[in-house]
Amino acid sequence: MRRLLGKLAGLALGVAAMVSPATARDLTVVAGGGALQDHMRRTLFSTFAGGPVVDTAYDYNVGPIRAMVQARNVTWDVVLVEAPDLIRGCEDGIFERIDYGVVDRAKFMPGGATTCGAGAIGWGVAVFYDEARHANGPATFQEFWDTQRFPGRRTLRRGARITLEAALMGDGVAPADVYRVLATPAGQARAFAALDRLRPSLVFWTGGQQPIELVNSGEVAYALGFVGRTANGIRAGARYNLRWPTLLYAYDSWAVVRGSSNAAAAMRLIQHITEPGPVTDLTKLWPINPATASVANDPDVRARNPLMMTNHQAGGLEINTEFWLEYGPDLEQRFAAWVNR
Amino acid sequence: MRRTNWLAALLIAPLMLLILGSFLLPVGFALFTAVADREVATTLPRTRAALAAWDGQGLPPEAAFAAMAQELGQALEERRIGDMAQRLNFERTGMRGLLLRTARAAGRMEAPYAASMVALDPRWGERDTWLLVQRAGGPVTPLYLLRAMDLQRAPDGGLQEVAVEEALYRQLFWRTLGISLAVTALCVLLAYPVAYTIAKLRAPWSSVALMLVLIPFWSSVLVRSTAWFVLLQREGPVNQAMMALGLIDAPMQIVGTRVAVVVALVHVLLPFAVLPMHSVMKRLDGTYLRAAASLGANGLQRFLRVYLPMSLPGVLAGAAMVFLLAVGMYTAPALVGGDRDQMVAWFIAYFMNREVNWGMAAALSAYLLAMTGTAIGLARVLTGSVATIGGRA
Repeated sequence: MRRLLGKLAGLALGVAAMVSPATARDLTVVAGGGALQDHMRRTLFSTFAGGPVVDTAYDYNVGPIRAMVQARNVTWDVVLVEAPDLIRGCEDGIFERIDYGVVDRAKFMPGGATTCGAGAIGWGVAVFYDEARHANGPATFQEFWDTQRFPGRRTLRRGARITLEAALMGDGVAPADVYRVLATPAGQARAFAALDRLRPSLVFWTGGQQPIELVNSGEVAYALGFVGRTANGIRAGARYNLRWPTLLYAYDSWAVVRGSSNAAAAMRLIQHITEPGPVTDLTKLWPINPATASVANDPDVRARNPLMMTNHQAGGLEINTEFWLEYGPDLEQRFAAWVNR
Repeated sequence: MRRTNWLAALLIAPLMLLILGSFLLPVGFALFTAVADREVATTLPRTRAALAAWDGQGLPPEAAFAAMAQELGQALEERRIGDMAQRLNFERTGMRGLLLRTARAAGRMEAPYAASMVALDPRWGERDTWLLVQRAGGPVTPLYLLRAMDLQRAPDGGLQEVAVEEALYRQLFWRTLGISLAVTALCVLLAYPVAYTIAKLRAPWSSVALMLVLIPFWSSVLVRSTAWFVLLQREGPVNQAMMALGLIDAPMQIVGTRVAVVVALVHVLLPFAVLPMHSVMKRLDGTYLRAAASLGANGLQRFLRVYLPMSLPGVLAGAAMVFLLAVGMYTAPALVGGDRDQMVAWFIAYFMNREVNWGMAAALSAYLLAMTGTAIGLARVLTGSVATIGGRA
């Protein structure tokens, strides 16, 4: 009996040793996956001279990162995060402070270097439709809301963020005033009233590929979808008309998970993957919107990628992260209640 | 005798430990998360102590203002302000902005803080703001459990409904219950003849038929739900077939409707109804049926009065299984359902992964657990009564 117990204890120890984090873990970088990450691996991660880098994908859900930090079992080092998650994660100590002794602060676009994040790449949404199906389509949000002139179903993102901004602009609010108006109860009522009007011809998408699929299958006539995917469709031969004046955009950042045993190497990796050289190489494979200023402003890069968001950003509206951190929980709940009614 | 008891206890000890460690503890922890209120106590301990002495009349003493300013500044500096800010902002929108603004200004403010904080933001001069912080002192709160039922505490401490444009969850639970019951009923109706037929088949055909029932398990729920999306979409095969047959003139909107959700869920869950029914029917004693026949019962009577009651335990087991799985379904409604077809599980995942509001996720889970618990209990009671009926028969 005692021998059996001894064996069991030994087994338990062995299992515990297997489960506990390896001391010499490869530097791990986590991004959104897909073809973009394949290209990142080729141009950014594999060219890092400071040791081997492994990369894995996640779906931008920060819940697991928080659990990892709280359990003190950190297996990710560098993560590509969205702006609201970056700010909240920074306030809660989920991410390390960026070591600007290692990372060059000056190379980022304005606002690209924050306490816990180094600017990575921008993304945006804009109205598009298939010209093979519809010769003419809405060019502004007001026209997107005009079902008389442009009959047919349209799709917006299921969620308050992005959708409520679009609704206010569809109701005639100037882009510069959107967040001021949306912060007032009257403005919120106005946004939901605008959605009410469009509701009969509205479907919502949840995943980023859905707007493309909905437009391709004819389920909807007009869509508000990610410009990167739409641009890729255009390059692949689809006849999408992408309406840049409806652009809503934001930038993702690289951050280091707090408690990472590779924190020092992670800072060096961030310095490397935001350098003009590797980032320019990445723009040759994929029309990203770099937060590295010299690449974003490089005339060669811009001329090579006419569908790059950077080329059209001036007329767009930057999504206000701080607004959504404060009003998000309330407006998202109200949106969910509205959508379910 | 005692020795064997010991040995038995020892033998099942690993199982008990596994259940304790992998089931009871996590579920208990999740249930506690639904009522836990730690954020303010952890981040603002001195403020909480100062507010504990406040009677709730007028404004709190200067000590509370001073502690709040200092602790907010410190929490911002030490990067542990976000959880607390989100906790208070969840109860009242706008608190996050107020707290962060105060934290950033904390270093510049001077005593008396009661004056300088109100000068910074008049909300610090409102009694309600301080009552909110006082109430959030923990260690437990009904906040999440109330919100998950569209209720909230009124400023005077009583209960009230949330604003009508924010009410969501009661309707969500009714919908989840309705969809799950519809799926369960359809699964039972479809599975019964299948299980009956398979139980009647001879070897090797019965094995082949069982195999066919099990084949869907070879692919994941995600794949099967996506397949339904493809089949049911506007220009998909179902619509094309119906148009070719002249049943409809224009493509019907099926994807994004309740019908699509029920169809996909029935397809995913049907095997869970067939298998328990089949195993009960397989073991049914044929002598009862022969006895009934010898007493002059016709086919319908034999089925209704003998076979059906005897196979009911399998039906109930299958129905309970389907219902339990349907209640927690997430993938299929998210893929083929519309905006009005999402179930509770979708919102649990949303609060876990996106909002990182574990209190709300836990509260919704707790109600879901209560719902499934009631269903199991009901099934047990019904099986018990069925067993007695069967005994009498």
